[in-house]
Amino acid sequence: MTANAIVTDSGRLNVVISWPSVPVEIVRAAGLRPIIVRSGPEGAAATPAADEHLESGIFPSRLRYLVDAALTGRLDNAACIIVPRTSDPDYKTFLYLREFERRGIARTLPPTILFDLLQSEAPEVRAYDAARMKDLFEVLASVTGRQPSLDDLRLEIARTNAARSAVRRLAALRHVVPRIKGAEVLPLLSAFWQLPPNDYAVVAAEAVDLIAQRPPLDGLRVLLAGAPVDGTALHAAIESHGAIVVEEVGPWGSAAAGDDVDCAGDPLLALADKYRRDAIGPRTPIGALRNSISRMLVGIDAVVVWLPPEDTTFGWDYPALRDLFRARRIPHTCLRGDPSDHDRLKTLVGAAETRHV
Amino acid sequence: MSDRSAKQLGATIAASAFQKQWFANLRRRVFDERQPYALVQADVPFELFDLMDIPAVSNQWWAAIIAAKRQAPAYLDAMSADGYHDGLCRYCSLGYSSTRYRDVQEPPWGGLPTPRLLCARLTCDCIHRVFSLWAEAFGSELFEIDHPGAGELPPRWWELGRHRWRELVEPHRLAFVATALERLVERLEAISGRRFEREALRQRMEMVNQQEEVFDAVRRLIATAPEAPVRMTEQISNVMATQWVRGTEWALAHALAFHDEVKHRVERGIAACPGERARLMWVGAGLWHDTDFYTAFEESHRAVFVWSMYLAFGPDGYIRYGLDDPMAALASRTASFNEYLHNPPWAAEWIVQQAREHRIDGALVLRPRSMKPAGTGRLFIERALEEAGIAVLPIEGDVVDARGWDAAGARAAVQAFLEARVIS
Repeated sequence: MTANAIVTDSGRLNVVISWPSVPVEIVRAAGLRPIIVRSGPEGAAATPAADEHLESGIFPSRLRYLVDAALTGRLDNAACIIVPRTSDPDYKTFLYLREFERRGIARTLPPTILFDLLQSEAPEVRAYDAARMKDLFEVLASVTGRQPSLDDLRLEIARTNAARSAVRRLAALRHVVPRIKGAEVLPLLSAFWQLPPNDYAVVAAEAVDLIAQRPPLDGLRVLLAGAPVDGTALHAAIESHGAIVVEEVGPWGSAAAGDDVDCAGDPLLALADKYRRDAIGPRTPIGALRNSISRMLVGIDAVVVWLPPEDTTFGWDYPALRDLFRARRIPHTCLRGDPSDHDRLKTLVGAAETRHV
Repeated sequence: MSDRSAKQLGATIAASAFQKQWFANLRRRVFDERQPYALVQADVPFELFDLMDIPAVSNQWWAAIIAAKRQAPAYLDAMSADGYHDGLCRYCSLGYSSTRYRDVQEPPWGGLPTPRLLCARLTCDCIHRVFSLWAEAFGSELFEIDHPGAGELPPRWWELGRHRWRELVEPHRLAFVATALERLVERLEAISGRRFEREALRQRMEMVNQQEEVFDAVRRLIATAPEAPVRMTEQISNVMATQWVRGTEWALAHALAFHDEVKHRVERGIAACPGERARLMWVGAGLWHDTDFYTAFEESHRAVFVWSMYLAFGPDGYIRYGLDDPMAALASRTASFNEYLHNPPWAAEWIVQQAREHRIDGALVLRPRSMKPAGTGRLFIERALEEAGIAVLPIEGDVVDARGWDAAGARAAVQAFLEARVIS
């Protein structure tokens, strides 16, 4: 959801979320509609209100949009804003939003909630996260005045699992034998976070039927690693050189769904486990991310590592990833700052083609 | 002409000598006696390590030593050459760099031996990664304390910390951190073979309280004396040497010696910068590679740095009264620790209060180049100070990386600031 979309969609049942590590199942079970902020294609759009208060080079554009929308009254009608703890800039955004309210800088903000999901592997984290899920479940019920039951939540989980299944079928059409380009499929995959799950399952199934009829695509298969991207610009830049982005690290592409949530037992605990394990961001444990990328390399011809200017985290992974790529003899390039560095991309594709031959 | 690099206090010389000797003893223990030690972030509870006879070396202290010895650029160049981009935090990773690229040069004081354990609170996003890489480089164990976010935000936190610390941190966060610390204790017991005594922790925290009360008295002396009796750099040397071993007999004795020397200077009207015309505060971590910066305006403008967070945070951040459950008290200090120093609403409220108490004329606020998470909250602080009538000059720089530091340019900017906005 881009800044402009927030303006038009900021209705009373909408919950504005800063990153897809907030359980949409709980939001929907409360009768609310999740709207997840993205930088989208308007990456260069101005955020003058936010720029007055947010230090430069720290907050990614999605958070600048969120703050700009909050400060200019565009979120006034939303039911609430939920900011997860899954990155430091998100947490700081929560503190800033509260401070804007305290100081009267933003006069009509909806309630701002911190969803304190922790992601480390410390043993005390699991129970903590489960308790935070329960808190969120109760807080959102108080926002709407509608108290869902755990069975309501299980139903929402089941619906979302069906949507997850659709995501996985869609993602399968881009992996071993790609039939769709990354720039084309990314919006279909990322819609998982936006559409009601029943609607998504139908739309995605139709898309799967159509795409499955297409002939296989020729081209080098590229993995996009590094910081997650939430738009198609980088995919398009890579694919303009004849390659195909078949997978990316981040919540907006093939990994949007992940595994199903098992709701036979305690659904809140199951959601806590799911989101702690699958939420991809700067606080995803280094070992989990390395293993995940290592698995993704099967069938990959080249890798593009993307590190945006505000990166403080994923750059720490780069030398180890570089060594991994070299050990597997997979050409790679690292884009820092300029996502459309065509010279680097062209060189990478050339190197990968040489290896391929 | 006075020698700006000369120490004005005997306590400062003693503090520096203690640290060097402490580190030499550590190396002897580790190499000769094969005793364990820990490498930790500055915000973990050192008391637990010391009580279990596992000395703890602060990552930030070690980084400051490397920077002060002008050795950071060579390590950081090696890091850049290895593919770590320049936007990554250098302060928390310089120590890792000195291990990973140990062949680049001979590190200070013989370098860090291999620790038995590394320990970090997962505050900024990068900490998990830096410490994971560091633990890999050493082949050592890593113990992480996750960092729950605060949902309730009392602005005047320092008024709650001493007696009402249970109100300062939400119960679920307090319980979470206490559980993590209990788990840390179990690990330290296994490493040391010693048994943890809760009563010993209570007594240690009482000693910490006494030590910080002494620092509180020093702070009052500095705030109320007609002219600042001690330079900010010497405040930091004395405070930090004791904070790393806080609650020990040496720490309390040294804090008292420091206090007595400052009091003596106040009683005799001895000023750090006689004829003081401007009182300055430094907001942010110290410029460890150029500490002369802090005395550079004494002779030319009679401008003296009076305040930094290092002394002031001791009494306001550490003291906990009511130690029936010492682990909970320790957890309440640990839970939000350094957030108070940077983020809204805490930092701006405290810094303005401190500026008023110390009769500050001008504030220099660090705009950290690579420590991005520590760079948040800065605009709130700058505006709050200006609204309180205190002139602000932002200073862009990195606390350990001297490579992009324009020493002459920064000094010229401060001089212009003093002449235009501070000294009328």
